[in-house]
Amino acid sequence: MLIMQTIVNGLLIGGVYGLVAVGFSLVWGVANIINLTHGVFVLLGAYISFWLFKLYNVDPFLTIPLSMVSLFLLGFFIQKYLLNYVVRAGVFMTLILTFGLARIFENQMIVAWTGDWRTVTTSYAGSGLAIGGVSIPYIRIAVFILALLFCMGLNTFLNKTKVGMAIRALTFNVEGAIIVGIDIGKIYAITFAISAAMAGAAGSLISTMYSFSPFLGTPYLSWSFVIVVLGGLGSIYGAIIGGIVLGLIESFTVLTIGPGYQVAIGFVILVIFLILRPQGLFGKKFLT
Amino acid sequence: MVLIALMIGVFVLLVLLPFFVSGYWVRLFTHIFMYAVLAESTNILMGFTGLVPFGNVVFFGMGAYLTAILMGNGIPFFLAILIGAVISFLFTLAIGHPILKMKGHYFAIATMGVSEAVKQITTNLDITGGGSGLNIAPLQLPEVQHVYLFFYFLMFLILILTVLITFFISKSRMGYALRAIKANEEGAKSIGINAPLFKMLAWAMSAFLTGLTGGVFAYWMTYIDPPGVFDIVIAVKFIIMILVGGSGTIMGPLLGAFFIEFISELVWSKFLVFHLTILGGIIVLVIIFMPKGFIWFYRKRFTLSALLENVREGKV
Repeated sequence: MLIMQTIVNGLLIGGVYGLVAVGFSLVWGVANIINLTHGVFVLLGAYISFWLFKLYNVDPFLTIPLSMVSLFLLGFFIQKYLLNYVVRAGVFMTLILTFGLARIFENQMIVAWTGDWRTVTTSYAGSGLAIGGVSIPYIRIAVFILALLFCMGLNTFLNKTKVGMAIRALTFNVEGAIIVGIDIGKIYAITFAISAAMAGAAGSLISTMYSFSPFLGTPYLSWSFVIVVLGGLGSIYGAIIGGIVLGLIESFTVLTIGPGYQVAIGFVILVIFLILRPQGLFGKKFLT
Repeated sequence: MVLIALMIGVFVLLVLLPFFVSGYWVRLFTHIFMYAVLAESTNILMGFTGLVPFGNVVFFGMGAYLTAILMGNGIPFFLAILIGAVISFLFTLAIGHPILKMKGHYFAIATMGVSEAVKQITTNLDITGGGSGLNIAPLQLPEVQHVYLFFYFLMFLILILTVLITFFISKSRMGYALRAIKANEEGAKSIGINAPLFKMLAWAMSAFLTGLTGGVFAYWMTYIDPPGVFDIVIAVKFIIMILVGGSGTIMGPLLGAFFIEFISELVWSKFLVFHLTILGGIIVLVIIFMPKGFIWFYRKRFTLSALLENVREGKV
């Protein structure tokens, strides 16, 4: 029964891990930007939910659209007015720039919401299903399903719409995309904005399950790195599967070796994957 | 000639400085020297070969922890930091072979993975005191001022050693080999350069110096914990210093370390609440206007048009 519970826990948390990583993976795959503010975007989404819940008692699940829209706009402006100016200077320049941005946001979050741990506790937080000794909170089921829906929606957008196809075109051949008239500056901005919106949605979902503080940006970022390497760069389903694999690995590490080692195991797997299978489980090789 | 005179002048100034200023400034300069060593030693790999070691802070933490543990078992300080540095050196030789085969992102992230894994393991072991860290018996000298001076001159000595090592590497066959690898690794191999060996040596050398500094830091602070010495933010700081100063140059990382540490200290003391915002803002501006570093800007004679040219070049 303990095994079943471990599997269920790992699986359900894996969905939201995947949603955290999917935008990170997209921006990296499309624009070749390693966005170190991604963890901060997740936190901003969580704080938007926290604020609306605390001030106006809005259900955190209903705050998701607002989180997504706010972060979409923020992401769009960051890419258009900052990152687009250094994209061609190389990946490490954008990386350092986003590092600087992350410090600014972290600082502002501490000023706005203090360094305290915050939680969003809804009236239904404790209730759940119990099937044969395995307990499953309703919130985790809802979060898992929503995370999968968001990723599927993103996948449909990338495959069926004109903008989505332009985004995908940039992952294959930038020069070719320019020749056929794609405005890459604009497409980069939209890609970055979508990535931030996904992070915002993930943040709102996370706020229903865990407590958070302004210092959690780096751990969320670390998950994203591990998941992208596991699932493969730029692959939407790779991110979801990578998230679930990471969730399962973490919960089994807690069961067998003990709590505290799950992050170490995650990083050891990251290094092993980079050495043996750098394209990840499903994706393609990194752009260099 | 002017450059040599200038360097001698700076050297004399830095030797005399701690006798005329307060303990606060002595400590600030010790800090600047420490970051200068870390940036310069990371530059041995990053500047010459173009590989960006995102997790180089792992050697800093290893040096600090090994020194703390060894000194706790009665081993004298200088032997302890040397052992810490040698083990850091050997650690790169052990993990270097598979990891140095990677390029670009792969390498940066793999080193970050190693660093985070070592950090997490340190947080969970008993011998390292787990998450609560380790205390080291502080240096006992008749006067507190002498303790400050001891660490000031020790860091200064390590800094000079690091600069000399970097200088000799850059002028040696190894330096040329590393630059050839940076320009074109396959080409370098085809003319008979043993690329894996030289990359490994460059990384091991940078690990040795970083580990040594970590050991001194532990004794200086008398207390260390995993978030303090394995923080990935410290590693990113070295890289920023190198980029701000100028990658692949000898003076660049030193100037970068001085600039970033000095500014962050000034900002921190004047604007306690907003210091990270201001620091982040400076990083953003430097990357947009001066991505090739201060040394490049000096070579362009500090013209405004050079800055604007950068903005045009990078834009999509």
